[in-house]
Amino acid sequence: MNEIPATSPAPRRDDGQADPAWTCPFCSLLCDGLPMPVAQADGSLALASGAAADNGLGEDAARRHGDCSRAARALAKTGVTAPASVNGRPVAHAAALAEAARLLSRARRPLFGGLATDVAGIRALYRLANDCGAVFDHAHGGAVTAGLRAVQDRGSFTTTLAEIRNRADLIVCFGVQPAAKAPAFYQRCGLADPGPRELCFIGTAVDPAAAALPNLDCQSLGCDGDLATTIHWLNALSRARPWPGAATAPETWRRLAARLASARYAVLVWSPAELVATHGEAGAALLIEGLQQLVKALNRSTRAGGLALGGDDGSATAAQTLTWLSGLPLRTEVRRDRLDHDPQRFAWQRLLARHEVDLLLWVSSFTDSLVPPETDLPTLVIGHPGLADSMRDRAGVFLPAAAPGIDSPGHLFRTDGGIVLPLRPARAAPPAPLPSVAATVTALVAEVGSRLGVGPASLAEGGPT
Amino acid sequence: MMPLRPGETLCLKGGRLHDPANGRDGVVADLWLRDGRIIAAPTTPADREIDLGGRVVMAGGVDMHSHIGGGKVNLARTLLPEDHRDDPVRASPLELASCGRCTPGTLATGYRYAEMGYTAAFEPAMMASNARQTHLEMGDTPILDHGAYVMLGNDEQFLAMLAEGSDFKLLRDYVGWSIHASRALGVKVVNPGGISAFKFNQRRLDVDEDHVHWRVTPRRVLATLARALHELGIPHPLHIHGSNLGVPGNVESTLATIAALDGLPGHLTHIQFHAYGQDGPRKFSSAAQRIAEAVNAHPNISIDVGQIIFGQTVTASGDTMSQVRNAEHADPRKWLAADIECDAGCGVVPFRYREQSYVNALQWAIGLEIFLAVKNPWQVALTTDHPNGGPFTSYPHLIRLLMDKSFRREQLSRLHPEVAQHSELAGMDRELTLNEIAIMTRAGPARLLGLADRGHLGAGAAADIAVYRDDADRERMFATAGYLFKDGQLVVHEGRVVATPAGGTHFIEPAWDRGIEKRLARYSERHLCLDFRNAAISRDELCQCGSGRLLPALCRQEAA
Repeated sequence: MNEIPATSPAPRRDDGQADPAWTCPFCSLLCDGLPMPVAQADGSLALASGAAADNGLGEDAARRHGDCSRAARALAKTGVTAPASVNGRPVAHAAALAEAARLLSRARRPLFGGLATDVAGIRALYRLANDCGAVFDHAHGGAVTAGLRAVQDRGSFTTTLAEIRNRADLIVCFGVQPAAKAPAFYQRCGLADPGPRELCFIGTAVDPAAAALPNLDCQSLGCDGDLATTIHWLNALSRARPWPGAATAPETWRRLAARLASARYAVLVWSPAELVATHGEAGAALLIEGLQQLVKALNRSTRAGGLALGGDDGSATAAQTLTWLSGLPLRTEVRRDRLDHDPQRFAWQRLLARHEVDLLLWVSSFTDSLVPPETDLPTLVIGHPGLADSMRDRAGVFLPAAAPGIDSPGHLFRTDGGIVLPLRPARAAPPAPLPSVAATVTALVAEVGSRLGVGPASLAEGGPT
Repeated sequence: MMPLRPGETLCLKGGRLHDPANGRDGVVADLWLRDGRIIAAPTTPADREIDLGGRVVMAGGVDMHSHIGGGKVNLARTLLPEDHRDDPVRASPLELASCGRCTPGTLATGYRYAEMGYTAAFEPAMMASNARQTHLEMGDTPILDHGAYVMLGNDEQFLAMLAEGSDFKLLRDYVGWSIHASRALGVKVVNPGGISAFKFNQRRLDVDEDHVHWRVTPRRVLATLARALHELGIPHPLHIHGSNLGVPGNVESTLATIAALDGLPGHLTHIQFHAYGQDGPRKFSSAAQRIAEAVNAHPNISIDVGQIIFGQTVTASGDTMSQVRNAEHADPRKWLAADIECDAGCGVVPFRYREQSYVNALQWAIGLEIFLAVKNPWQVALTTDHPNGGPFTSYPHLIRLLMDKSFRREQLSRLHPEVAQHSELAGMDRELTLNEIAIMTRAGPARLLGLADRGHLGAGAAADIAVYRDDADRERMFATAGYLFKDGQLVVHEGRVVATPAGGTHFIEPAWDRGIEKRLARYSERHLCLDFRNAAISRDELCQCGSGRLLPALCRQEAA
């Protein structure tokens, strides 16, 4: 491995027991080992960068993460409180739950959308879907599906953050400035550690956050070119057998292809959401397939890996959990006696637009930024108290729920695949204690079950879910 | 049947017990259950009775090597939606929807195992960095008790310590800490050093070859891990996926691996994939007899076979080096691989084993040869290395192949014609007995894992009991249990799931010196992307992952 100069490790208690440390749930980097956020006068929380140095806890992590604008914005909303409501009128939690159960048990084909929750939340929703039937799609289902379709068609060759930290000598970002999405990206995967590395940006200018790091040799290879053409050239130039047309390739791509082939460990980075925004879902799927093909081609002679920067708002978690429970990924209709996976037909935007569902259950527990989409269907919202406003003038039910990592524990998947982080509540006493999404949905399972008279099957009787 | 209340007794009358751990081979006897345990016959009459009328009774099945959960299994599910689409959900008021043939959803995994009379399955390749996902998935596998072996020997931390010539005690403590942190029941090594070497662009690594960067050999990795487990008193021997998986001639590496253990216990897993010679016109031949001779001569060695079954499956392995090498054979033509967290890696490659392929047919014959040529059934566990050789649902078919020589010959006659000439199988007359099957599918694996109260029907054992209808067609017989009791609760009746309790998690808590943590924290700070305080899974967190019950195992007393 590359020898990385030591930073002094944070002191630890002699008994080796975990000191209280916080994992930030607000983007899929899941920065961990942070000092607990600090309570503010308005009931919200703020990042504790200064406090970290005082007690020696997580100093390094705080340095990396201390000025994360994304975390700061999300934490500023943690003081919001709101009661449950039905049709915009505040009601007791139990009354809202009963109304939600009534609507769910009458629905023929609900859409479980949003899905911004943790593993326990998806487990509970899966249980509920087995009683009332539901199509599952995440708020970022388009981005998830673009990556998924590339895997389903051809496969993938991926790497993870610690591999990047220890091995990557060349990082090529396709159509994304990582820090714009995930402010602590360079720190999180060790690219801010001393030691030279090359960074190339294709389709964007150099990420200002990368340019600010003295050890990185950054360049942009053009903002206006078409990514698809670029990826085609790079693939053509990276074939196992030399390609006679190589000389016709633009000089930029010939040089980059040669550099990729000579790198010890090249990493290609993309953001499925950015690619969907610029190229649509099908276009993004093809681009990702091309990138994965390029990584595989490079791995014939040297080493390389791909990193998709995605999975925000629990989308990686929802995809993983649904997949292991049912055997099928997101955009699957779940009924007790039938599973139907269709990555195109079951896009939530399409289902709502064509009225192919008759109820929307929208789950969004991390922030108030994923508001329930416009629809004239009855809408149930479980999530961040800040979403109460969006239900003020709508038919349906609002059930406030605790945010994982703020007011409840939980588990989330990091952007790079199989790394799961445990979340701890950031405070012992929230301004208004709220049940988790899992607890709320489990209560719904009981209510809906008694209305529909369904059987006792459970994920695991006697288990914590 | 209503669940038994606390203190109530149930008598299973007149079953034929195949309980090799207690020396009972088909004796007709009553079994008594109370509070989830098997008890000695009490003097008072039973509260309830079931007349088994001579049906075959065994302990619940224990699958010691089956990829039931974790990152690569979920990637395999993701890669093959077609496999899942082709497997319609079985409607049942007691089951939640779940599907898939090669890599079923966790829910279907639990239901299908239970229907066959199994009560435990063990995920053999848990990466420490992926341990939480593995436990979450196993926690969503109903009915089955479960556990996992943590993968070591490719993590850069271990290799660096070995390369630096660290004191053995440190390495032993590191192994102990890893088992503790990941809540594992044992340790597996996969292509010792090879997954790491591949990250440095090394494409092959034999037992006495140097890792291109760390300059340590697989032999040293093996010897160190085996000694560490021995000294820590971990009952399950080092679980070894050897070097050169699938490479013609790899029998030499496998024999060298056995020698590297120097008499210490070792379990060679899916040994079929490591039993190849390179004789004959196709430079690919059976080395099953040499492997069997070695196992017969080394009582410290146990194996599971990793039998291949013809048809579609998917291979999911931590052995990135081998999987990338074999990716050209992917069918359908798609595959995936990953380097993971300076810890290990994974490769997922779909395969279709074909009867008319010389290589596949010979692999099939090699597996069966090994089953039949190893003399002591306690040294052999029945596996297909699910899903790598075939899905676990093909066990009944495999059992029939082992118990019925005319059926076996009939199958052999359908294969690539040269296989019968290049394998001893055609001449092997052995038919395994019910007792030998009971050893290979429950008693043996339970003993190899150190699970004293599982895999047998003696008083004090957990009441994990499978009842089968005796049937000359052993495939039909073992496809569905007539009754399956899990900890005394009836969970399957006449092949249908009737209750879905949560399974428990088997893990082991060895003693190790906490001084190692400072060193590991420093390493984590310098090289990893996870705060060291999140490295270990607490017991509370294990419960959150879905474990119905924590089942801590005991280390051997004589441990250093």
